[in-house]
Amino acid sequence: MRRKKFLAIAAAVLSMTIFGGCGGEKAQSPDDKKSFVYGTMAYGVAMENVGTNPHESYVGWSTLRYGIGETLFKFNEKMELEPWIAKDFEQIDDYTIKINLKENVVFSNGKQVDGAAVKACLDDLIEKHDRAPKDLKIDSITSDSLSVTIHSTEKVPALLNYLSDPYGCIIDTEAGEHDSIVVGTGPYKAVKVTDTQIDLVKNENYWGEVKPKMDKVTIRSIPDGDTLTMAMQNGELDAVQGLPYSSLQLFTKEPDKYKISRTDTSRIYQAAFNYKTPELQDLNVRKAISMSIDKKNFTEVLLNGNGTPAVGPFPANLSFGDNAVRTVDYNLDEAKSLLEKSGWKDTDGDGYVDKNGKNLELRYLTYTSRQELPLLAESAQANLKKIGIKLNVNATDNYKTFLKSGDYDIFSKAIVTAPTGDPEYYFTSHIVKGAVDNAGFYDSPEITELENRLHNTYGTEKRSEIAVKMSQKILDDCALFYASHLRMSFVMKPNVEGFTAHPSDYYEIRPELEKK
Amino acid sequence: MSKRYRPLIPFLILTGILIFVAVFAPFLTPYDPYLQDLEGALAAPNSTNLLGTDRYGRDVLSRVIMGSQTTLCASLLLLLTISVFGSLIGAICGYKGGKIDIFLMRMSDIFLAFPQMIFAVAAAGVLGGGLFNAAAALAVIGWPKYARISRGLVLTVRSMPYMDAAKMAGTGSIEMLYRHVLPNIAGPVLVTAALDIGTIIMELAGLSFLGLGAMPPTAEWGAMMNNGRSMIQTAPWVILSPGAAIFITVAVFNLLGDKIRDVMDPKNQRREVF
Repeated sequence: MRRKKFLAIAAAVLSMTIFGGCGGEKAQSPDDKKSFVYGTMAYGVAMENVGTNPHESYVGWSTLRYGIGETLFKFNEKMELEPWIAKDFEQIDDYTIKINLKENVVFSNGKQVDGAAVKACLDDLIEKHDRAPKDLKIDSITSDSLSVTIHSTEKVPALLNYLSDPYGCIIDTEAGEHDSIVVGTGPYKAVKVTDTQIDLVKNENYWGEVKPKMDKVTIRSIPDGDTLTMAMQNGELDAVQGLPYSSLQLFTKEPDKYKISRTDTSRIYQAAFNYKTPELQDLNVRKAISMSIDKKNFTEVLLNGNGTPAVGPFPANLSFGDNAVRTVDYNLDEAKSLLEKSGWKDTDGDGYVDKNGKNLELRYLTYTSRQELPLLAESAQANLKKIGIKLNVNATDNYKTFLKSGDYDIFSKAIVTAPTGDPEYYFTSHIVKGAVDNAGFYDSPEITELENRLHNTYGTEKRSEIAVKMSQKILDDCALFYASHLRMSFVMKPNVEGFTAHPSDYYEIRPELEKK
Repeated sequence: MSKRYRPLIPFLILTGILIFVAVFAPFLTPYDPYLQDLEGALAAPNSTNLLGTDRYGRDVLSRVIMGSQTTLCASLLLLLTISVFGSLIGAICGYKGGKIDIFLMRMSDIFLAFPQMIFAVAAAGVLGGGLFNAAAALAVIGWPKYARISRGLVLTVRSMPYMDAAKMAGTGSIEMLYRHVLPNIAGPVLVTAALDIGTIIMELAGLSFLGLGAMPPTAEWGAMMNNGRSMIQTAPWVILSPGAAIFITVAVFNLLGDKIRDVMDPKNQRREVF
């Protein structure tokens, strides 16, 4: 009897342990119409966006994405600027801009957003942030009751675009930061922030016309694609972002159970040719490789249609994007003849072209944290084999070591080319001579001259014209090849409204969000 | 064949088949395991592609067969390296003793103190992935076990009367080691190695599964499972086929190891006599 009792207790404890472990901690019930649980792969330590203080690293992305903070201007669907906290602006001269603020904007603590608060925030930003001072080049800021005047050390035509970067979220610096929580002006305010989760509650003082409709919003970081898929399938989440492409079809085939919001973004999958590699100094070789990338099948088959084949660095929805430039088409025969023109022929019958007794063998460096990159690498490898080039793929998340040591011939990466709706960021960071991310050591005097012009030109149209010329020059030189632009997808339950993917990849949780 | 070795036969046959497939893999694959055909991607198992195709349209059966060569060769080479190197170190320590013994054994203590897989993940990550780097990471952490075993065995062998006899006959140290010591410790080391094959296959495949082993497009079972991980619901054959190959291979080698141990266990031999 005693033994039976012991066994019963042991079985009960065991079951509780097992089933307790299976259940996990539920922050709130997703069935509750006033709460929203959002699973994402885009929040976490690896992305340097943990927290809510926009003045640190890439944390501003979380502040802006999850509706905690707002910027002076924001991007519309065409990536054009619109006033947000700001009412309008006046360009006083090439170095000075005056930004007028809306009168009714308040922080979530009820304090009004006035000129002094914005000045304090921008002062704190340029004091603490690593990228902002280099972008904004602010000399001084003065404030009035409802305006700030920014004087720059040099011409910064894209100043308003840079101020719309997530690091430009306006926060109450006087209120400070406590437990990684700052006070913003967004429809929601953070109440608990950890490395894996952000808990938000409605901002009762929200100034906007549309008031937030959810009482609670939980942002859960789920970095594993399969876990994310299953969490959405079993109803733990109301919406997800970052599903593996192979999982996405599980949701698209059930339109009654799930809704999907998609948009093209300016995130590009590109590969830079290392100009230090003697073989790649030959335009014909670079052109042959560019011609061997089957972008159509890469986007349609390997990305399951979640991308658009790229021409240049910018997507077609931008005025300086793919519709304005041209590049070589996929053509393996033409690629082979280009190699032959440069003296690369398969003389020993081993399947690889050779010259002076040496096979054309290249090292392709990439990383795995972006699921599309290894797919592109393997696809490129197979196609280059068809034209006789041996590609040795090194897909490692320790890629920075290899970049530093120069042990690569081609470096492939994913990057948002127009995060501020302006093209200059991409050219200054990846293309011009000496740029931090110019992994191919590309050096074109024409690009340098055009960049100088771009840097001193005001006006969207004129800047677009120059950007198109620069993109075309890169494509004519085959300095890089551009494979695909990312199509971002949000999957959600059918009762979720007001949750749509935005081309900027910034605005996710908005006041319009509701569950019906 | 002696009655004592008969239980080994079925497992030796199965192991032989696996090794045969691995050695002659390039001649056994129905299709080129590296040939991409994106238009035929993710086809379910059918009469043309018995185990279906992967996301690149490559024949899964051909890749599983080719993967046996990569996985088995890498695992067996790694095992050979660590068992020979570790046993030699252990034999030298046990035979020579003194400062060399203290130094090398403390070194082995340091390596034994690390959790093996975590160390291998860290080392392979730093080295930048690749099957060679993954095997090197496992080799660095794997040798002390063999050094410890062989050192203990050598200490026992060293006190045997035949060792004194050989010494009195004027046999040199090196000759003593390879003629009298190593042959006498080979049996237990062999049993340990046989029992380790399965573990090593799992560890190498594990590193590849984590993206730290074989690089694309190498057909390797762990890497193939990693590639098919996100398709477990939509195209399960991509992950299940290499998974089943790992399961079967590890099971065969583990059973073979168990049987070798049983056969070579002196207690079992005595039971047979009485």
